[in-house]
Amino acid sequence: MASDHDRRVVITGAGVLSAIADSAAGLHAALCQGKSGLKPIELFSTEGLGCHQAGEIRPFEPRDYLGERNLRPIDRTSRLLLVAAGQALAAAGWTPEALAAGENEVGLVLGTTFCSVRTIAEFDRRGLQLGPSYASPFDFANSVINAAAGQAAIWFGLRGLNTTISAGESSGLAAIGYATGQIRGGRAAAVLAGGVEELCFESFVGHYRAGRLCGSHGESEEVPVPFHPRRNGFALAEGAALLMLEDAEAAAARGVPVLAEVRGHGGAFAPRRTREDGAGAVARAILVALEDAGLGPGDVDCLSVSASGSVESDLWEAVGIATALGPRAADLPVAAIKAQLGEALGASGGLQAVALLGTLRDGMLPGVAGLAEPAADIPLRGAGAENRRVRARWALATSLSADGHASAVILGAPGAASGVGG
Amino acid sequence: MKTRIAVTGIGLVTPIGAGRQEVWEGLLAGRSGFAPVESFDTKAFSVHLGAEVRGFDPAPWVRRHDPASMGRASLLAIAAARQALEDAGLDSESVEPERAGVAMGTTSGEPREVERFDDRFLAGELDQVGPEFLSLYPCHMIAAHVARELGFAGVNTMIPTACAAGNYAIAHAVDVLRAGRADLMLAGGADAFSRITYTGFARLGAIAPERCQPFDRNRKGMIPGEGAAVLVLEPLERARARGARVYAELAGYGLSCDAHHMTAAHPEGDGAARAMERALADSGAAPGDVSYISAHGTGTPTNDRLETLAVKRVFGAAAGRTPMSSIKSMIGHTMGAASAIEAAVCALAVAEDRIPPTMNLEEPEDDLDYVPNTARGHRVDLAMNNAYAFGGNNASVILRKCEA
Repeated sequence: MASDHDRRVVITGAGVLSAIADSAAGLHAALCQGKSGLKPIELFSTEGLGCHQAGEIRPFEPRDYLGERNLRPIDRTSRLLLVAAGQALAAAGWTPEALAAGENEVGLVLGTTFCSVRTIAEFDRRGLQLGPSYASPFDFANSVINAAAGQAAIWFGLRGLNTTISAGESSGLAAIGYATGQIRGGRAAAVLAGGVEELCFESFVGHYRAGRLCGSHGESEEVPVPFHPRRNGFALAEGAALLMLEDAEAAAARGVPVLAEVRGHGGAFAPRRTREDGAGAVARAILVALEDAGLGPGDVDCLSVSASGSVESDLWEAVGIATALGPRAADLPVAAIKAQLGEALGASGGLQAVALLGTLRDGMLPGVAGLAEPAADIPLRGAGAENRRVRARWALATSLSADGHASAVILGAPGAASGVGG
Repeated sequence: MKTRIAVTGIGLVTPIGAGRQEVWEGLLAGRSGFAPVESFDTKAFSVHLGAEVRGFDPAPWVRRHDPASMGRASLLAIAAARQALEDAGLDSESVEPERAGVAMGTTSGEPREVERFDDRFLAGELDQVGPEFLSLYPCHMIAAHVARELGFAGVNTMIPTACAAGNYAIAHAVDVLRAGRADLMLAGGADAFSRITYTGFARLGAIAPERCQPFDRNRKGMIPGEGAAVLVLEPLERARARGARVYAELAGYGLSCDAHHMTAAHPEGDGAARAMERALADSGAAPGDVSYISAHGTGTPTNDRLETLAVKRVFGAAAGRTPMSSIKSMIGHTMGAASAIEAAVCALAVAEDRIPPTMNLEEPEDDLDYVPNTARGHRVDLAMNNAYAFGGNNASVILRKCEA
């Protein structure tokens, strides 16, 4: 693979809004404390469906975070995003004055599956019920899938590149990879990257009827546990999570502290939807990321996986990781944060990455809540309920979407690269 | 030294026909793709024209999977992708699957699937919603379906940046190839004709009642459309080694965001100008080197005025002598497919030294050379493809003549 490594990409800030925490530091702490975001859904009625729990963000009072500016044209997806983006920008010292200053351009690369399918569907239904002339122009502006990224650009004055990436559960890590490429290529010096997803009726019904939710199958609704022998689906969730990525030299020139670095990224696709194919895509994404990072399997200190309680994807991802990392995978410490957060789709990769910042800072990797022992066919035997103290230099985050998109991102602690030759 | 990227295959499905040759000849002849909308009833609207793809049969293209298992935008995309591969002298077996990727853009993904959901919702028949909603609707299924159909296991990226999405996808494919992450990328855009899109643009008063007249002082709006375009992109060295025909070199791109308004362009064309300047710098070119500009040119009053302003701002004295046309005057606004179709047109303009016209242009609003109403023979060494979108997203892509 050709090198595009003229520039290093560092993380100078992070922002999170989730069902268990509303800050980057709070996310890692809440995960390590074993908090769960799953609760009975209040955003919409689940009457007639066999599933009633989700990782809903509640209470959520946007004004607590966003002040008195006009929120009327901003839908829930965009509001979630604005909260996380505001935190990440502030943490990295991007004040409104700095963002407005002449040559400064901050970009945004946003992962999302639906943006707001609720906004889209409500716009359509209103037009059908009352006639096209009663459809809302505000809603129409928000009906494009890049609407949240556009709203955030307007809100904060982000005039750099603005790209939305959709890859289901892999959207967030794919967005971090895309943004890393843009910075390495010299096309941007500072880019927010991560993802957002809102919990809504349309998505919930879709996932329920597709048989993907824990509770889709008629049996009593349990708490979903990734890698569990009796797992039968996940809990849907919502959230927003972003990293502030910057060119290392530009960040140094601004004098902002470095939280971690994005060392490598990789992506692949599973066109055939078999165990071999899914695992193969995960393995290739990891191997590309390792090569990109100049690291070997033995360098990986800990893992954050996208396993959620899904019957197939959990297994395929685990097998793919074992394929790529070899014997190292067997006892590697593993975090599977969807055990507590649920499946936040486009936001999930960002949540995985932000949670790893805490691990790289203090060496504590959250355990997999509720997991006594992984299913016999899961090769990641290091997955368990207890928090683990890890040697935290290099952390690997992986994801596999239900539709076959695999992503891998390698994060490094500040100074971790000193032993890698550059 | 950057890896040079070649365009070696073109696939097109548009309201004026399908296939590179048919579409190109139609555009040079000034064919119109506008007709009363057939895919839904427009009697509640005050406008009725659309640019639909009529009589599209997916069967010749969708071979490995059941066409009923995917949405219309995916079907259009697969048709364009298979055409593009064949046009490049390739088939899915002649490509190493792990080194072949897909990058696609869209505005709405598969909007008809959410419309079907809404119809059931309002009819009190939500129990009729089955697993197909989730396997059909998410926009990332367009790129996923293309890859499944062709067995491509490399990078798979869906970029839903609305009406500039095709250019974003092509730009991303360039980066993937330059970084050595793939040997071949299919890149383009697809959108299906949609009640939601039509309702929205009608509500904004942006749909023209009779025809689309970009850059005419009496223009009344755009005509919503649908379609798909896919380009085969590969490193120039590899393309030459296998003796492929090279339409053009994908020389560079530039992205920016207005950060101004969700649906209206920046009043001084700021973001559009920055995207053009960046694309020029990325291509090592100056404004005077550009021989053709493929305009975003929707036919709405504000877009066309601000686009002219932005071009003048970037090109200065060269603006008046650089031909600029909008094929949306013929095929309408095909949304996420639009800039991919226009990139294909730029590749053909570069390869054949011909420029398609801006049709229906009777009274030009400004003094640029909008190539009114008749195609033109003109040496095209460098073509710039401009695209702008809701959310303030701007993307310019530059294609360069690639001498043998």
